[in-house]
Amino acid sequence: MRFLVRRLGFLLVALWAALTVNFFIPRLMPGNPAEAMMATFRGHVNPAAMHALEVAFGVNTHESLPRQYIAYVGNTLTGHLGNSTSYSLLPVSTVIMKALPWSLGLVGITTILGFVLGTTIGAISAWRRGGALDSVLPPVFIVISAFPYFWIGLLAVWLFALTLNWFPLQFGYTETTVPALTWGFVGDVLDHAVLPAMTILITAIGGWILTMRNNMITVVAEDYVKMARAKGLKPRRILWQYAGRNALLPNLTGFAISLGFVISGAILVEYVFNYPGVGFMLLQSVQDQDYPLMQSLFLLITVAVLMAIFLSDIATAILDPRTRSSS
Amino acid sequence: MRGTLRAGLVGSALALVASTFVMISSGTVVLATSSAAGASTQAPLNLANEQGLLWPCTFNPFNPSDAAYSVGVTYETLDFVDALNNAKVTPWLASSYAWSNSNKTLTFTIRSGVKWTDGTPLTAADVAYTFNLIKKNAALDVNAVWTVLSSVKQSGANKVVFTFKTAAVPFFYYVAGQTPIVPEHIWSKIKNPVTDPVKNPLGSGGYIMSKCTSENIQWTANPHYWQPGLGAVKVVNMPAFLSNNTCNEYLATGKSAWGSQFIPNIKSYYVAKKPGNSYWFAPVANVVLFPNLKVAPLNDVAVRKAISYGINRAQVSKIGEYGYEPPATQTGIVTPTFSSWSSSVASTAAGTSYNPSKAKSILTADGYKMDSSGYFAKGGKELALTIITNGGYSDWVAAMQVVSQELKRVGIKASVDGVAATNFYSDVYAGKFQLAYNAEAGGPAPFYEMRQWLYSKNSAPIGTAASSNWERFSSPAVDALLNQYTATTSSATQHSIINQLQMVMVNQVPVIPLLEEVDWFQYNSKQYTGFPGPGNEYAQPGLYNIPDWGVVLLHLKPVK
Repeated sequence: MRFLVRRLGFLLVALWAALTVNFFIPRLMPGNPAEAMMATFRGHVNPAAMHALEVAFGVNTHESLPRQYIAYVGNTLTGHLGNSTSYSLLPVSTVIMKALPWSLGLVGITTILGFVLGTTIGAISAWRRGGALDSVLPPVFIVISAFPYFWIGLLAVWLFALTLNWFPLQFGYTETTVPALTWGFVGDVLDHAVLPAMTILITAIGGWILTMRNNMITVVAEDYVKMARAKGLKPRRILWQYAGRNALLPNLTGFAISLGFVISGAILVEYVFNYPGVGFMLLQSVQDQDYPLMQSLFLLITVAVLMAIFLSDIATAILDPRTRSSS
Repeated sequence: MRGTLRAGLVGSALALVASTFVMISSGTVVLATSSAAGASTQAPLNLANEQGLLWPCTFNPFNPSDAAYSVGVTYETLDFVDALNNAKVTPWLASSYAWSNSNKTLTFTIRSGVKWTDGTPLTAADVAYTFNLIKKNAALDVNAVWTVLSSVKQSGANKVVFTFKTAAVPFFYYVAGQTPIVPEHIWSKIKNPVTDPVKNPLGSGGYIMSKCTSENIQWTANPHYWQPGLGAVKVVNMPAFLSNNTCNEYLATGKSAWGSQFIPNIKSYYVAKKPGNSYWFAPVANVVLFPNLKVAPLNDVAVRKAISYGINRAQVSKIGEYGYEPPATQTGIVTPTFSSWSSSVASTAAGTSYNPSKAKSILTADGYKMDSSGYFAKGGKELALTIITNGGYSDWVAAMQVVSQELKRVGIKASVDGVAATNFYSDVYAGKFQLAYNAEAGGPAPFYEMRQWLYSKNSAPIGTAASSNWERFSSPAVDALLNQYTATTSSATQHSIINQLQMVMVNQVPVIPLLEEVDWFQYNSKQYTGFPGPGNEYAQPGLYNIPDWGVVLLHLKPVK
């Protein structure tokens, strides 16, 4: 119980700190949203529009920073995230919902798949060191993960979309259709997701394989594993219940953190496949000095990462009783 | 550059790799032809217009971010002013106009028989309402028309009278050519016209926004449009592109027949891919080196002149911009678009635009001496400058690197600083630079860009953001000339003023035009006819020009 309270306390302090930093850092940047917006028009708009934008965005309201901060904390706690200046003053929640489901779907599923597959391959290849699996999969995936993502991505685009025409070139779904909950549309989304998902998977899996394999090798040499063998337990049971369970622990925190970062999207994937997602939105909001959108996205990421770490702490405590208290 | 990659290094790397791949695959690419849909149903026209965001699906014509997707196609203006053809005025919602009261009163006669797409007639009351709506909400006044207007009133059944504070003839372009007219019976019910997203825009134009998702905006032709015979294309799609290279792929694979993209190596990447693929980059404004006139040594006209003569603009164009943007001249007149405004006196006075020996002799006459390291110096101080440019535009950075090499040859040390976009613009606006490479919006005649550059009231003290005149030029004589221009409708007087301003450009070198900003435009002539081109410059075809691209769309015809 004390463990849980302590963890919760840490969670709240970290949240407050993130909230505060989140408010002040963007405001240290030079310029303001109106100037940034003028920049995005690339000179195609009358320079006189800057004044109109300043009025619309409430720039130069001369409210002191501490007052703005108090208003911001209050608004955030009551769920008022404001209106996005770079998305035509739409409510921030509306803007985020344009991209978030796509990131959660694509990056979320590939992260979980990558972790599950990577750990399994890592565990098995450590268990059968020098076997066929061990001498092929880990090296291949580690080499692939060393390539820059966009290189792999563009190679996939060229081969599977442009040359072989197996998969669509870009977008999250056939761009001229309207999203609807029909089998046809779901199929279309899956069709568009295959290529981005595969490229994420093959570039991300190498890391999980490597760490799991290394952890496993250490654990397999432990006395309790020898003991289990000596007792004549089934190898499968030793592999997963004795060695795997313990080798997994260090990977679990890493997994939790990457789950948290699912919410930050995958910017290069979005770039290469013109896939909707929060990664590009985050970059764009920073460039456009869209404070409300930027703050909300950072907040979302922070909350997600902190929650994921909190949950992984609890999971670790369940898997490994030693971490529950120092005594 | 306008229309080029916006995420710096990542973007340029992607484009490089992407163009290589498409080149490798040139023989094997299977072109997804959109015209193959058969004769019975017309295939939609897809547009390639990278804006780096998912569509917000808001169509507020007074919001500069939304205007490009509503003004021209859905909402219309009183007149159409053609920036590529001597500001030629085509009557649109107004059937005629007249200046009176020494050019302080402008009276429009509103066309009869025009209907909003809900069937309600468009009247003079709608026009007067629109302008007074803008007056009430400063945030809607994108073109600052109420800085010069004093009242807009309906007069009789079909006339609207605009009264100006002082004569403001060039503001005709913003009032008649750029301000969208909205229906009073809809907008009077909108609570907050500034923040209202206008999800279902209702206008009088040739196209109705029929559906919008984050990934695509679709328009369908207005079956009851008031100009019969226009609007032959039935369905138009504008997908959302996050990066330049995905949008270029869309164009190059033949999915789109009309784009306004910056495409590296356009001949091999685009033109060679499909019969009919063409491009036309019409010059519309200048890309300019702004010298900070408030700081030494650039407050010295000799240094500015030396810089202007010391740069081989043709080289900058070739290396920095694939030759897409032609070299500019110190007179500031964009050719061939505004050739009729070019002053032979000013051109003669300026002489050859690239003249390194003249650059050196100007500096020597000004008291500069070449030091041991090959740079000019005066009073022990080397002539060393920093050029800032938008680091997100890879081509601008490349162009400035050429400038730096060119200047080195005439003994001026110039380093290039590619600044992150937000910092770049705030530095430019606040005057925190020595030399800045940037462009103004321009307009349908050289006057607009000249006024943006030179009018002292556009500027601001160093440290305060200026909307234009970033170099902080201030000359009562030039202000007087610009004011005189706004008071006249006489073409002869206008030309004489622009001639004098060209002399100012040559003699005082307030800014240094380097290249000509172009309108990015690619099209497939085998799929659609009616696009503008050399000799037929009826509108700007870039998909960000309002209301121009709507006008171009109306004139397109699918090839059977």
